[in-house]
Amino acid sequence: MLDIRTDNLRKQFGDVVAVDDLTITFPAGATTCLLGPSGCGKTTLMRMIAGLETPTHGDIYFGDQRVTRLSTRARNIGMVFQYPVVYRGSDVRANIELPLRAEKLSKAERDRRVDEVLDLLEMRHAANADLDALDNGTRQKVAVARAVARQPKIILFDEPITNVDISSKLQLKRALKELVTRLNQTIIYVTHDQTEAMTLADQIALMKDGRIVQYATPRELYDRPNDVFGGWFLGNPGMNFVENFARTIDRDGVVHSPLFAAPVRLSGRSGAPLTLGIRPEHVRVHAAAHPEAVPARVVNRAIVVGGQYLVTLQIGDAVLKAKVASHTGYALGEEAWVQLPLERITLFGADGHKPDIALQPINPSNTQPLNAAAQRTQP
Amino acid sequence: MIAVELHKLAKSYGRKEVLRDVTLSVESGEFAVVFGLPASGKSVLVRLLTGLETPDQGSVVLRGADVTRLSAGERNIGYVPQSFALYPHFTVRQNIAYPLDLARVPKAEIEPEVQRVAGLLGIQELLDRKPDQLSGGQKQRVAIARGLIKRTDIYVLDDPLVGLDFKLRERLIDDLKRTQEMLKVTFIYTTSDAVESLMLASQIAVLDGGEIIESGAPAALYAHPQRTQTMHHVAFPQANLINGILRQQSGVQVVETPAFRAGFVAERPGQPGGEIQIGIRPEHIRIGQPPGAGWLTHQAQVLLREDLGGEEIVYLNASGLVLTTVVRSDDQTQQHVDIDQSVVIGVEPHHLVVFQDGRRIGVCKVSE
Repeated sequence: MLDIRTDNLRKQFGDVVAVDDLTITFPAGATTCLLGPSGCGKTTLMRMIAGLETPTHGDIYFGDQRVTRLSTRARNIGMVFQYPVVYRGSDVRANIELPLRAEKLSKAERDRRVDEVLDLLEMRHAANADLDALDNGTRQKVAVARAVARQPKIILFDEPITNVDISSKLQLKRALKELVTRLNQTIIYVTHDQTEAMTLADQIALMKDGRIVQYATPRELYDRPNDVFGGWFLGNPGMNFVENFARTIDRDGVVHSPLFAAPVRLSGRSGAPLTLGIRPEHVRVHAAAHPEAVPARVVNRAIVVGGQYLVTLQIGDAVLKAKVASHTGYALGEEAWVQLPLERITLFGADGHKPDIALQPINPSNTQPLNAAAQRTQP
Repeated sequence: MIAVELHKLAKSYGRKEVLRDVTLSVESGEFAVVFGLPASGKSVLVRLLTGLETPDQGSVVLRGADVTRLSAGERNIGYVPQSFALYPHFTVRQNIAYPLDLARVPKAEIEPEVQRVAGLLGIQELLDRKPDQLSGGQKQRVAIARGLIKRTDIYVLDDPLVGLDFKLRERLIDDLKRTQEMLKVTFIYTTSDAVESLMLASQIAVLDGGEIIESGAPAALYAHPQRTQTMHHVAFPQANLINGILRQQSGVQVVETPAFRAGFVAERPGQPGGEIQIGIRPEHIRIGQPPGAGWLTHQAQVLLREDLGGEEIVYLNASGLVLTTVVRSDDQTQQHVDIDQSVVIGVEPHHLVVFQDGRRIGVCKVSE
């Protein structure tokens, strides 16, 4: 197993900086997804790791070996591209076996490896199928199998699902998931599709403008984005942002805001105005008045994923989207009551980064015992 | 007032019949979405509506007047085409103004109109740029602005968001919805995307097999689809469809599939012994032991778990059938699973919708 390290790695095309002085380690044996919108530099980064693009400056290491000047061939990596690269006119087995022949492996070893990867990808039954007779999803599986059978220590995937027919996507995604789970190789997987990244990755490197904005596990990236970009890019729709959400903040950090039914407290001091971030599915919506919620106007509502309702709500100047259960959304009138659970809120500074400050309830230690005491006194 | 009325429209190209019998009526001020799969004839419908082509049969009535024989220029419709070809040597301002230039509107009147539509779509600061200085989403907003600059009461938008990435679509869906509401005009909008349809429409018309097979408000179509295609396609994720047979057994009708048997509650008479399809929404399949009595249960194997962030889509293999389910990620009441795991799945019988010959005939119930 080899980790992949970049040291101050940069790629410029004329004035355009595609990868901006990147220093990062992709751990050995893990699957890292490079995720980001088009133009973020993810493909250029992968192509430099593959040796298909020469860095403007900086270095790339596979384990302890500096590979910056090595040819693609000398780097001994497996690669799978957007469009399946297969040899037409021969069968599946021959396709997978071809690079093994080049490595002068024995017939027995070649057969063993081909069978192993056919099993892994659940395509033993198709071993003798002609490539011309296969759909492009299955062809892509063959391309994957060929890259894997060589047993390189590093495998790179460049959007392998993007151009596959919808009908064979599930099969290919499942095969890739099985693969990345079972293989011990170090895998770099480039995609613009957040669902694909969240589904396949051990770690996601979220990229923007040639930099890695956040490097984290999928759930951490989704639940605790450290930048507004991660909040916006992940999720469908992305996070709600309310700028200058506080009407007043006093010296003790007590915040009065139209978004909260009671004052709340900032856990620390902030020089600049803060932006409140909350994901639509975490906004609680009540059809009737609720003591912990504030009234809002229902601007719009629509059915979205899984029959849930996406409700657009207006509270003063702030517009929030809430993703709620179908019965809640269906029952709403023109008015609703909105509650933003403090533990689901992320604050962002003026620079878009998450400061080390959170919102807390006022007197969190007092409320619980008081209630408990009140309950105890009841007969 | 009825803004648009299509009456028994038919159009063939040679032997290929694209539209067979399209009847649709759209009230003024509606955001009407014509949903159809690729190659279902949406673009042909648009061409007949805008007057780029004439139907073989049937009529197009706009604002109460029959315009079937009128040319495109005489119909007074705004049009946003599917491919947003902008003139590369024109600025954004000139591109947006082009329809008014063509109509010889005086220059002094054009600029305020450009500002107005640019404001609607939030592209005021782009007006002096050339198209090659714009991102894909900006280009599309310019194209939409150009389609909206003509002041009229009916606009036709032909799948304007197709091919755009989903963050961009998210933003443009909001823009379009807000724009239509502010202008208080009628939009006829075609798409093959279920989420776009459900999010934008005040009325969805489902085009299938050259006909509008069903139309209604999104919530009504979603809750009570009358046609298989509507239930299956106008949803994300798509509804599951299972083939089965409606059997007559000792006087009662029974729904039989490879995966389960259930009783039948007829809403209209079904043909006994006939083939049926059962539609199940992904959100109605529950993973784990059902919480109460009266559920149909089955053993299944997890094929894949996809993480959408807020939701998980779980694909299952149940007796060879591939089923899709969806669970909210923060739902503590359901079992969260991983690939290859064996699980029990359950569904309440009244969520199983029975279709015959593409039409809804009833739902299931627990068999006696």
